[in-house]
Parts: sequence; structure tokens; C-alpha cells
Amino acid sequence: MKNLLGRTVMAGALVLGLAMSMASLATAQEFGPPELIEAAKKEGRLVLYTANFTEPEQETIAAFNKRFPFIKVEMLRAPGGQLITRVKTEAAAGKLNADIVDHSDRGDMLALKDLFQDYAPPNASEYLQDAMVAPNLWPRVTLVWAIAYNPALVKNPPKSWADLTKPEYGNKQIGQVFAPAGGTTWTRAMFERKVLGEDYWSKQAATKPALYPSGAPLSDALVRGEVSIAPLLYNIVYTKQRDGAPIEIFFAPEGAPAIPYATGIPKTAKNPNAARLYMNWCLSKEGQSLMISTQGNLTSLKTPPVYPKNYDPKVVKVWLPKFDEFESLRKSWVDEWNKLYGHRQ
Amino acid sequence: MVVLAFLVIYPVMMLLLGALTNTNPVVDGFGVFNLSLSNFSEVLANPNVHAALINSLVACTGGTVLAVVIGLTFSWVVVRTDTPGKGFIAATSMLPLFVPPLVAAVAWSILASPKTGLLNTMLATIGIDWRFNAYTMPGLIVIFGIYYAPYVYMFTASALRNMDPSLEEAAEVSGASAVRTMFTVTFPLIAPAILSGMLLSFIVMLGIYGIPAVLGTPGDISVLTTYIFKLTAWSPPLYNTAAAVAIILMMVTGILVYLQHKITSRRSYTTVAGKAFRPAQLKLGRWRYVTLGLAIIYLLVVVVLPTLALIVAAFRRFLFIRDMASLFDMRQYGLMHFERLFANPLALRSIWNTMEVGLITALVGGVLAFAIGYTINRTNLPARKSIDVISTLPVAIPGLVIGVAYLWAWIGLPGGLYGTIWILALAFIARFMPDTVKALSTSLLQIHRELEEAAWICGRGLLGTIRSIVLPLARPGLIAAMTLLFILAIRELGSSLFLYTSNSMVMAVLLLDYYEGGNLGITAAFSLVQTVLLGVIISVAHLLSRGTGDSSGIRRAG
Repeated sequence: MKNLLGRTVMAGALVLGLAMSMASLATAQEFGPPELIEAAKKEGRLVLYTANFTEPEQETIAAFNKRFPFIKVEMLRAPGGQLITRVKTEAAAGKLNADIVDHSDRGDMLALKDLFQDYAPPNASEYLQDAMVAPNLWPRVTLVWAIAYNPALVKNPPKSWADLTKPEYGNKQIGQVFAPAGGTTWTRAMFERKVLGEDYWSKQAATKPALYPSGAPLSDALVRGEVSIAPLLYNIVYTKQRDGAPIEIFFAPEGAPAIPYATGIPKTAKNPNAARLYMNWCLSKEGQSLMISTQGNLTSLKTPPVYPKNYDPKVVKVWLPKFDEFESLRKSWVDEWNKLYGHRQ
Repeated sequence: MVVLAFLVIYPVMMLLLGALTNTNPVVDGFGVFNLSLSNFSEVLANPNVHAALINSLVACTGGTVLAVVIGLTFSWVVVRTDTPGKGFIAATSMLPLFVPPLVAAVAWSILASPKTGLLNTMLATIGIDWRFNAYTMPGLIVIFGIYYAPYVYMFTASALRNMDPSLEEAAEVSGASAVRTMFTVTFPLIAPAILSGMLLSFIVMLGIYGIPAVLGTPGDISVLTTYIFKLTAWSPPLYNTAAAVAIILMMVTGILVYLQHKITSRRSYTTVAGKAFRPAQLKLGRWRYVTLGLAIIYLLVVVVLPTLALIVAAFRRFLFIRDMASLFDMRQYGLMHFERLFANPLALRSIWNTMEVGLITALVGGVLAFAIGYTINRTNLPARKSIDVISTLPVAIPGLVIGVAYLWAWIGLPGGLYGTIWILALAFIARFMPDTVKALSTSLLQIHRELEEAAWICGRGLLGTIRSIVLPLARPGLIAAMTLLFILAIRELGSSLFLYTSNSMVMAVLLLDYYEGGNLGITAAFSLVQTVLLGVIISVAHLLSRGTGDSSGIRRAG
């Protein structure tokens, strides 16, 4: 335990040191011209609608506030489907409260792109075009799938996606988030079929995995030992491992499906300058580095400033879905997935 | 009537519109009416909906039967026997009401998960092969039954207390045994209360999301609410289908309410007349320790064990417990989850907002429920039957779906209602109207007309009579109803989900956020904070109402 605590403190100190040295390098100018910062200061607040999890987002806000303490970020967090319904309804009634809308499902956001104003961060050219669905929607957050297991329960751990089809991991040892749960899981399912083979789903389903409605409760089940192995978004399990949970995580050699968010500033934003400043900061190297090193995100920057722990860029192949396929294949493939996994819809 | 139309009919119409079209009424405007029954026919033809419906009915019927057995037993023990520690038993019988369903379910999954449950770890330690399994239909039924017994208790305890014992005495004089008297006189006399309690607990179970979500999901037991939640949470969300499922749920409830009317309207249940009496107490002899023992077991099962599980989860770094030695490894424990919880500014904010919403809901809702209850039970207005049915509708709709209906219905209103805690309070008032009205109706039903007639003869007007006769007599019921409303408002999750904003975050929503964020430690820590707060508030309310002596509403309720 002492060891564990020691490691956590060390890791924390390292991260802090990294953040501080970055902070000294960067100047406030990097995040926008003085006029923007002044105008943001006058607004003093912003409302962020996000489908990201509460805790990591609070960490991001706290780091932003270290640099810009004069802006209060009020957050509203909801699961993907519910967030979209709320944004649509509020916007239609002329009462959209959000200054920023941040969502994991790029398809849903693309449908709403006219709600958002023109915006690009100062380092716009450093971003991968493939990660964007519209010029006004930015990949503020980029998540990546990994495989995690509980080493106390798995004596012979899996080493690849293909290993998850082995009969020895049968009988609900593996936990899976079901494919229709949202954009992130659909990305994983699409990766499995496109990269691992047409028959991957049927072979994997044959191990009878336990199905979960979303990744976070599954990560908790993994820590508790309800399941022993689970493909999970790296940011959900990494933060647990960081805090000392008994789990191991690896990126499989066949590839790591990644999910860039789509984030925009509504035309109706009441605090557009504060919103721009927050977005500029999140999309900057400083913001992305923080999300990568402390929260286990990836980035859609062409040249990542750092890599998450356990991630070797020479080995891991990031896999981004083609957006047109992401939309066109979705319904029929998810239906097939449901049938193969015996998931009731 | 106007208030009800605004609170209930308008949102339900929105829901119906949603179910009959494939549009979001706010987004697409009201001009696009492509009415069709396709959502309904799709839903009715879907075998998964059938499975969910059957599972719901089985779980809720089983749960209700168990709730009646527990609730009725304890109300009888508390009111009619000389069991020692009755104050304690009365309080125990109400305690499960304070526990949000999500919290109860999480606690029981920690205790009785087949793989990692603490109880099972203990069984393994002492070498017993049998295992608890909360992830099954019987598991679901037991948890439903023990947590919804207070509804039955609440209704039957006040009915038993207000019952004229002369009828029982007559039975005994005629030579009937105590048990026979109980089943042929006592229980039939309080039948409306038993029925109301049964109906309400059934309907509430039908609409609960937290318990089947946590306990049903791992065992692949899908019920209507978890099915509806899936429909709304998926991307893209299928609200119109969800609305259709919800309307079906509403029809089931409508039929139940109708049946209850049929049964209770056949006979008169007036038992509080203008005469003084004291309910008699049965001397149980040695058996009184058995009844006390039952209460202690109940307390253990619904409060002590789950609370211990929550305490373990809230103070323990991670919930990976392989054996008993690991459970008692003190190095694993600390305040980390509480520190992280209160480092989040939203936590304090949500606590404050929740208290405010609870208070507004209890006060405004209590008054409104009294007006409705009085109209239904005491006047001959032609609309009273429909008022009764309308005010019962909202409970039948799962919170999540009615949350959307409220959002659709009220967001367009001029003024700044949306985004304040008032819109939450309004939703809670509408949603819990049936609970409150039913709780009040029971006490109103029991006040004999002759008391009011006496006041009229003495020259009092309608309001004067209400003030001087009905209100004082129904006060315990009213205070109990308001307390109930307060508690329900604090726990309510579903309908809050679409109505809260960054300014009006409430505890239940933040709690779900933590649960969905996969952080059981903070979820448990926050649950404990919520439980302690509720306990403090209820105790304060109890102290404040002490002035009214034994008829104190809190004492009655708990």
C-alpha cells in the first residue's frame, strides 16, 4: 500500500512538474490575443455542456482556472442521447444556455452544425483534418480504446484483440459495452469488424461476455472483480489505475480505435469570448498535454506533445473510422451486432 | 382544474403527441402533424417489449405482495400490540423511504453479487457453498418488496390508528379469536388503506429505474423502465418510441386506478366519528419478543447491512475484496472519496439546490394536494372523478420520459422559468401529486361528515369549516404528506435529468453522474452524505412538530 501511495504521489509530482514547466514555457498570448482575454475576463463565466465524464472534466476546468482564474466554468454533464435532445430542444425554443457544446458523437453534432458559430483555435493548422466533421466543430477531446484486466483474477492475460475470442475467457469473464450504447462503442464495434475480420463478432460473442450499458460501470465492475477482462476507453480505466486500482491496461497490436469529439460554440453563446478562450486553451498543446498525461486521453494534433502511459507510438496503430462509413453502416451493423450478441433491443 | 391542466394534462398531451409522431414538438413546431400509430404498433409487435412488460409485471407483483406483508405486519405491530420499542419499530418501518433506489441497489450489489458480494465472501469464509444472487428475478422482487413496504405501512398505520376499536371489541365479545378478528374485522375495515398502499407501491415500483438498472442488467433482466432508459440514452435517442412505451405503462396504471375506485366506492369506510376512543392494544405475551425480533431483522436487512456496505465502499480505496482478511485490512481505508467529493464545487451547490427544491415542493405541493384531496373526497363537484384520475396519471410515467414531456411542454413558456429550480419543483409537484393526494385522501376519508355538518349548522362557510374542522383533523396526514413530498423530491432523479441546468444541479443528478462515471467510492460517499442530511432534516421536522403531541405527523409517518 505504501508503495502504491508512493507511486501515486510520484506520478502526481511528475505530472505537476510537467504541467508547471509547460506553463512557464507558454505565455497567455498563446491562447488568444489580449483583447480576447480582456473580453473573456469581462464575461467572467461560461456554461459548458459536455458528454464527457464529470471528474476528468473538473480536472480540466481546475487546470484552466490555474491559468485563467477569472473565468468560472459552469458544467452540465449528460449522457450522449440525452444531451443532444436537450440541445435541440433548448435551441428550438431559443433558450440554448450553452456557451460550448462538447459531444462524443460526431454524427449527431454534424446534424446540428448550423447552430454553431465560425471558430478555429490559434493552432488550427496543427490538427488532423480526418478528426473533424465540420470546420466549426473541433476535437477538443480524443479518446482511445484499450483492453484492461484484473491481474488478481486473470492468470494468463490476453495480449491482443484476437485473444478476446479464446474459449478460456468464456463464461462472463469478459465484459463488453454493447454496440448501440453510443458513438464511442459503435467505433469499437466497427473497428472489430473492419480490422479484425468479418467473423470477429461471432467468435467473440461465443465467449458469452457480460454486456454493460456503458463503459464507466463496466470499469467499476472490473475493479471489483465482477468481470476479469474488458475492452474499455483508456481514460476511464487509466484514472483508476493512476489512483491505485488493481488493474492492468494495454494497447493491443492490431490497433487502437480512437474517437475525436466534436465541440463547438453556439451562435447564441452569451459568453462567446470566455468560450473561445476555454476552447483555445483546451485545444492548445498545454491543454491537450494535460488531458493526455493525467486523464489518459489521446489527441488529434498531428504531432502529439506527449503520449499516455502504456502507449508506445512505435507499436500502437491508431484507427480512426471513415466518417461516411461511420454514418452509413451504423444501423445495419449494429442490428447484426445485437443479434450475434443476443442483445435485446 | 386549471393548475392540473398545466401540471399534468399539457405535458401528457405533449407525450401523446410525441408517441404519435416522429417529431420533437419544440424543434419541429406544432404545425407538422403526421399522426400515426406506427410507434405503438412497432412497440406492441416487439417481442423485447413483451419480455420487458412481463418482467415488470412479475417483479412488481411479487414486490407488492412482499411489501404488503411487511408493511401491514409492522403497522399492526406498532399500532395494535404491546411490542416493546414501538417508536423504534415505527421509525424503522419508514427508513427505507429515505434511501434512493439507486443507492439501495448499489448497496445490494455490493452485498449480494454472486461473484464478489460481501455476504458471499463471508459464506465462503465459513465454508458454506450456497450463494446469494441479487441479479435474479427473486433478488429483484425481494429488494422491491423490502424497500417499498413503507408505502403500505404509511397508509395502514394511520388507518389502524384512526379506527374505532368498538367494532373489534364487538367481534371479540361475540367470541371471535384475535386472529379471526384481525382478518374478518380489522383488515377489511382498513381495506381502502391497504389497497391504496398496494396500488401506490405497485405503480411506484413500475416506474423505478435505479433498482432494475443495477440489479437487473447483469442478469439480463430487462424491465420497462430500463428499456425506456436505453431508448433515450442511445445515440440517436428514440424518444418517440419511449413515449409510446410510456403511454402503454400509463394505461396499465389507469386500469389499476379504476379498479381501486370500483372496490373502494362500494362500501363506506368512515371510522372517525365525533366520538372519543383509544385504539385497543393486543397483549402478545411472549410473542412480543418475536415481533420485536422481526423488526430487528428488517432493520438489519434494509438499513444496517446496506449502510455498512456503503460505508465500506465510501471509505475504501477500491472495492476489490477477495476474502475477509482483505475486508478488514485497515490500510485500504481513508477519506479520499469524501475529499474528492467536496473538492467539487458542484457538490455543495447541489445540496443547497436540493434543499430549496424540496422545501418548495413540499409546501406548494402539500397545499395543492389538500385542495385536490378535499375536492375529490368531500365535494360533489361533477369534475371530481376526472380530477382524481388526472392527478394520478403522472406517477404512471417513468420519470425519465415525463422529464422530456415537461421539457417539451414548459420550455416555450415566456418568462424565466426554465433554468431555475422552480421548474424542477413544478415537475416534482406534478409527479408526486398521486402519492400526496392518496396519502391525504386516506385521512380525509376517515373524517366523518357529521363533524363538518356540525360546523355548517353553526354557521361556518366552506373555507371556515375547512380551517376549523378538516384542517386540524387532517393535519397529521397533511404534515406526513408534506414530509413524504420533501423526501420524494430529494430522491427524484428521472424527471430532473432534463430540467436541471448548470445553475440548478440537484443531488440525485450528481449522484447518477458519479455512478455513471464508474466511481462507486464517491457514489457511496455522496449517498452517505445524502442519507445523513435526510436523517437530520427529518429529525428537525420531527422536533418542530412535537408541539402537536402524539398526533405529530412525523410520528405518524415514522
